[in-house]
Amino acid sequence: MRDSKFIRRLEQELPAWAERGWVQRGAERDILAYVASQHSGSERMVIALSLMGVLLLGSGVITFFAAHWAGMSKLAKLLVLFGSMSSAYVAAAVTATRGNLPRVSQGLWLLGVILFGANIMLIAQIYNIDSHYPNGVLMWALGGLLVAYTIPAQLALAAAIALGVLWTGMEHMDFNRHVHWPFLLFWLACLPPIYRHNWLRTLHLALIGLLLWSCFTYFDFLWEYDASGRHGAQLYLMQIFFLGYLALFVTGLLLEQRDDTRKFAAMTRHYAAFAALCAFFALTFPEIQHSSRWLFAGDGRLPADAWWLGLTVLAAGALGGLVLKHQRTQHAAAIPVHLQWGRGLLATLLALILANVFMNGSVGGQIALAFNLLFFAALVWLVFHALYSSDRTLLNFSFLFFAAWLLSRYFDTFWTLLDRSMFFMAGGLALIAGGYFLEQQRRKLDQKIVQAREH
Amino acid sequence: MNMTLRTILVLALQIAALLGMIGIKQWTLNSGTPVVLETLPVDPRSLFSGDYVRLNYSISTLLLDQLGGDKEFKRHDSVYVVLQSGEPYATPVSVHHEMPQLAGGQVAIRGEVEYASTTRWNQQSRQLEPAKSLNVHYGIENYYVEEGTGQTLERPADNAKVTVRVAVDRFGNAGISAILLNGKERHVERLL
Repeated sequence: MRDSKFIRRLEQELPAWAERGWVQRGAERDILAYVASQHSGSERMVIALSLMGVLLLGSGVITFFAAHWAGMSKLAKLLVLFGSMSSAYVAAAVTATRGNLPRVSQGLWLLGVILFGANIMLIAQIYNIDSHYPNGVLMWALGGLLVAYTIPAQLALAAAIALGVLWTGMEHMDFNRHVHWPFLLFWLACLPPIYRHNWLRTLHLALIGLLLWSCFTYFDFLWEYDASGRHGAQLYLMQIFFLGYLALFVTGLLLEQRDDTRKFAAMTRHYAAFAALCAFFALTFPEIQHSSRWLFAGDGRLPADAWWLGLTVLAAGALGGLVLKHQRTQHAAAIPVHLQWGRGLLATLLALILANVFMNGSVGGQIALAFNLLFFAALVWLVFHALYSSDRTLLNFSFLFFAAWLLSRYFDTFWTLLDRSMFFMAGGLALIAGGYFLEQQRRKLDQKIVQAREH
Repeated sequence: MNMTLRTILVLALQIAALLGMIGIKQWTLNSGTPVVLETLPVDPRSLFSGDYVRLNYSISTLLLDQLGGDKEFKRHDSVYVVLQSGEPYATPVSVHHEMPQLAGGQVAIRGEVEYASTTRWNQQSRQLEPAKSLNVHYGIENYYVEEGTGQTLERPADNAKVTVRVAVDRFGNAGISAILLNGKERHVERLL
């Protein structure tokens, strides 16, 4: 725990360490400044207590006025609503400046945002405003974004992102928006303060929000059949997600090359790799390639219409552009071998995806086979890339998806061929042996990464 | 910009947004054309929850075969329902995707299709019969009242009739300006 006691002890010890040559002379002050700048356990406690205080105060205020609400005039209600919100913001500003209590102030900014949301709901109730209700949540989220931009306050941005996800969830689930594009604009608007203030924790939330939006969009299309029971939309959407998240992965590689964005690179790559692998894994299933109801016998999906074709070409173009940009930033001689053959793999994948939008479901089996081969090749590529970039998370992803892929192909292949008891016994044995083997390999490679980092 | 100015900016913009909500609603009530709508008892299975009244209007369900205008609608479509003012209630004339031209004594109220159906349940024959119908949400289905007073409006006694006076602005937005019980104002919407 980096508390004041620890810093005092360090102050006493550092001169002796410098004397013995363990620490470079002159570096003592930098070390102390660095340690002092880190979040200590007591600071985390302050944040936790402030948050609990904010929640308790907020719920107390709401329940108090709920009990006395009916007897108040509209004017009195408005004064209470605006007064409580203003008090929270003023208290936040005072604690941030005069009180020099930035952590408490963060909690109070969040309280202000919570009260802004409560005000939207209560004013809608007082004035019987019953419009498209997700707009109320959007308005609330924009209020949080305003605080994040203006003050700036990280907790307000976290609240805005959570509310943005709630907003798009409502639009998808209650109003079947299919692809809710406005959320992407909102999501992009959340990025500048994250970049400007190095809010890494909020970037986690933003990336999780993007993944959730993708899930909402996919589930909106899940039960979308045409009149004859076909639903190729699922497949075309999955291909676009794959291309989109691959583009985000390459963006992560580009972020690595600039000093001001390097800190965001690994996180962006990890989330993008996870999402792209999920989409790619889904594309290896013959069912999604055939795309028809299980009881519907026939040719399956139709070739994509102009809308899906346009989106696929756009996503492929964006990915291609980013790859070219990344290529230009590298010296030809310094490009590692795996990146060179990775380009060939990517070109093959793009060709397959673009060809796939012109095909119908009757060739779904063959297409699925091609995706399986490329999926395996991509996992091998990812292992090489993880070793090259000393990235343990990507290494773990590649093994996780390899295991999932093996398991699903085992089910596909042997479920109908083997007797049920044989199926489970053989599967169990294969899992134990395969799991042991994979874990051994993963540990060996992981050790290599650790050693590479140490050198 | 220092913290005081930034705080003032946040407060000013958020309060302006909240006042904007009230202002838009009040503009509809002040500038809109008043029409009186008939209400029907709410589904007895939907329980009175909290302190708001659920209002079910005779124009909430529209039989397209009996009305003019467009005939093809799907869930979540925006619709404009032309109402002809009359005594004692306004009645629907036609349904449209876009704001139509209006004749004298008519207003167009905007809503959103909750359900579009090709069959309807006939209460008399107790059978499903083919009929294109729409369930439309107008944003005037809930009205907040004092705790405990909602039930008499939701499910009035046999000899009581609840009607609602709404104001419809030129964009089709509607707001409840009064709830009437047997033609007399029971709740009137006021700014303050």
